[in-house]
Amino acid sequence: MRGLSKPLKYRLLFLFVGNGLLLLLISVFLREGASFTQVLSQAGPDCAPIILAGLGMTGIILTGGIDLSIGSVIAVAGTVFGCLVYWEVPPLLCYLACGLTAWGLSTLNGALVRKLRLPAIIVTLAGLAFYRGVALMIADVAVPDFGGNLSVQDDAYHGPGKFHANSILLATLVMALVWEAFAETPRRWLALGNSPEACRLQGLAPGRILQSAFTVGGILLAVGALIEVTQVQTIEPARMTRGFELRVVGAVVLGGTNIFGGEGSFAGTVLGAFFLYFAQQLLIYAQVSPYLQEVLIGGAILLVIGADCTLNRRAKMLAELR
Amino acid sequence: MNHRTLNSENPVLKIAGLEKSFPGVRALEAVDLELAAGEVLALVGENGAGKSTLIKILSGVLQPDGGTIHWQGQPVELTSARDAFDAGIATIHQELAYFAKLSVAENLLLGEPWPRLWWGGIDWSRLNSIAGERLRKFGARLDPGALFDSLSPAEKQEVALVRALCRDARLLILDEPTASLTEREVKRLFEQIQRLRARGVAILYISHRLTEVLELADRVAVLRDGSLVSTYPRLEADIDRLVRDMVGRDLVGTFPHERSATGAVVLEIDGLTRANDFHDVSLTMRAGEVTGLAGLVGSGRSELARALYGLYRVDRGTMRLRGKEWAPQNPHAALKAGLVYLPEERKRQALVSNHSVGSTVSIGFSDLISRVGVVPWRAERGRLLRSLERYDIRATGIEQAVGTLSGGNQQKAVLARWLERDPTVLLLDEPTRGVDVGAKAEIHKLIDELAAAGRAVLLISSDLPEILGMSDRVLVMHEGTIVSELTGAQKSEENVILAASGLSRFEEEA
Repeated sequence: MRGLSKPLKYRLLFLFVGNGLLLLLISVFLREGASFTQVLSQAGPDCAPIILAGLGMTGIILTGGIDLSIGSVIAVAGTVFGCLVYWEVPPLLCYLACGLTAWGLSTLNGALVRKLRLPAIIVTLAGLAFYRGVALMIADVAVPDFGGNLSVQDDAYHGPGKFHANSILLATLVMALVWEAFAETPRRWLALGNSPEACRLQGLAPGRILQSAFTVGGILLAVGALIEVTQVQTIEPARMTRGFELRVVGAVVLGGTNIFGGEGSFAGTVLGAFFLYFAQQLLIYAQVSPYLQEVLIGGAILLVIGADCTLNRRAKMLAELR
Repeated sequence: MNHRTLNSENPVLKIAGLEKSFPGVRALEAVDLELAAGEVLALVGENGAGKSTLIKILSGVLQPDGGTIHWQGQPVELTSARDAFDAGIATIHQELAYFAKLSVAENLLLGEPWPRLWWGGIDWSRLNSIAGERLRKFGARLDPGALFDSLSPAEKQEVALVRALCRDARLLILDEPTASLTEREVKRLFEQIQRLRARGVAILYISHRLTEVLELADRVAVLRDGSLVSTYPRLEADIDRLVRDMVGRDLVGTFPHERSATGAVVLEIDGLTRANDFHDVSLTMRAGEVTGLAGLVGSGRSELARALYGLYRVDRGTMRLRGKEWAPQNPHAALKAGLVYLPEERKRQALVSNHSVGSTVSIGFSDLISRVGVVPWRAERGRLLRSLERYDIRATGIEQAVGTLSGGNQQKAVLARWLERDPTVLLLDEPTRGVDVGAKAEIHKLIDELAAAGRAVLLISSDLPEILGMSDRVLVMHEGTIVSELTGAQKSEENVILAASGLSRFEEEA
């Protein structure tokens, strides 16, 4: 990995060790009848949508932007998928339409942020409500007697989510990490997040860099959406992936990406997403009340980031004293 | 040192009749300038003389309103930073335009095609070795893989210099390049500049440090109030001459007062230090006295005032307020203790421009008249109307949006806000900046009345006639510390400028 600052390296180490500890604790709390390998093999499919959407989000946040509409974008993609299934379109075409929808809307978000010259948070916050409505309208028009959900029972339509999630996740992850390490585009995202003014002064086009983050992020979001959508038997346009964007942002920020842009890594996001997942699993296996679980997960995010920042600050202060 | 003379037959850069105005300010007025290959031209002038505007135009960031720029014999229009850069004009801005979290190599090469591996990935080791070669070529011993953020100010400057030069710049503009460098680093920079000059690069060097300028430049041009007032070959330039030209105007004798004897000590500070901003500052403010604080932008004046007001934490030193040990935790505590601060940037720091004049002023006193958290509107209104009249704030009424008032009236509204609190210590940071002549005189009169009424006033100003005319004594800051205290006959513009540039006449004579 190129040019990671010390705090970021420590964060990755912190999360890596943290994930190990969580797994250890999970193995302690495992009951009879549940196997540890099962926990591990389920982690991939469960985390895949968050991780993939998270990688896309990482790129966008690196530039200093954010996309709050991804939950609703997946809802639109899922609805398109559900409607096509209803019309008995062949599975491959359904997958393609689902992915293209998610990618197209993410790219559109980038174009809007660029053309309207508004902060990404505003544009995509509007998108959050707008796309959710669009999903419902599509379902209402495309499916006669639409009653709030679309049923997808045939296993032929669950390939990516139910049967190939692990391999899709692994392949995409490897490609994304190699790309991050060896492509120029992610370095430009960092540059834009560091200083839009310097980009302008050095003749780099900030608008184009921003657009590339949304476009590349859209590809990753599309793969994530495909896995998410093909995991469920029932697609509910009004309710599916609600709050998804916040879980994704949580994983990204936990992974050490600066929420204001300019610093971060794909690897951090992957580790952050797993950390949140394993923490949740631990609470389930330890039979903590579901109400308390949410509180503890929120607390854990604050604790990890808070402890990390405090340690870094102290290290920096000590370094300055020397 | 080999000082070339200007080859005026064939200048690389020729500016004629350059004009630029901003709303209310004439930033540049008919500026003519020529620069030959291999020549170092220094540009000096007070804050606000128009230096930055000129640089921004030459580097394509701003477009001029009038005049022509000839570059290597051809008329050019520089419509963007890219334009200027491609034409061979490289600018190193005062705040370096760089990417903190990218490596040195990336900072150097971003925007150029990067070396690739056979399968299309970036060849990082080639990238680093290309960057390393360029660094070495210009004598910079830096690790190309290091994070830009981890470099010292001087090293950052070196990267900026290498970046500017490796693309074959024919004109290099340096804006206050030595502001954050140590003496040794300055020496190294000068060696670099000499080498460039020998290679025929034209250099426009902007600095406040006159000794540096005289050491380095072939010619020195003085800019004052947007006009080019003089140009000297190095041998004819001396500090006295430059300072006189920079100041230019006669001292206006309109300042009110001869103040009577001052009163008791109100605020005493001793050895106040805040890392990177100011160090070992000691001063005493007395009731009824106006203490002037002069210095260049960045000398630590505003930071000191902010620390006194509790906005900035200090690392070391003590403060005593009316004889008692005192350390403001925040501005609220300072306000309660009777200190007020008028910030430097009125629009950004003191006003919400779409708020009404009334609410702008009443922030100052509403807590004093409120009963159980409720402000009685009748009392508030009455007090506001009196305040508008007392401070002569010309508005259509207390409902008018403060942003629509003139600069002078805005400033009077901000002053009124604090004066309604009846403060004992006033920290005024550039109180008349961007204010017209009439309002300026009124603000001066007000400051005088405040001093007469026994308030202690700290007046920070870059306007030399103002600070000399208004203050009982002038403290001059240079690089974060008070280097000179001028009273009586010592109070002159020349002495202030000399001290502010880190020179003192007394030292020079000694």
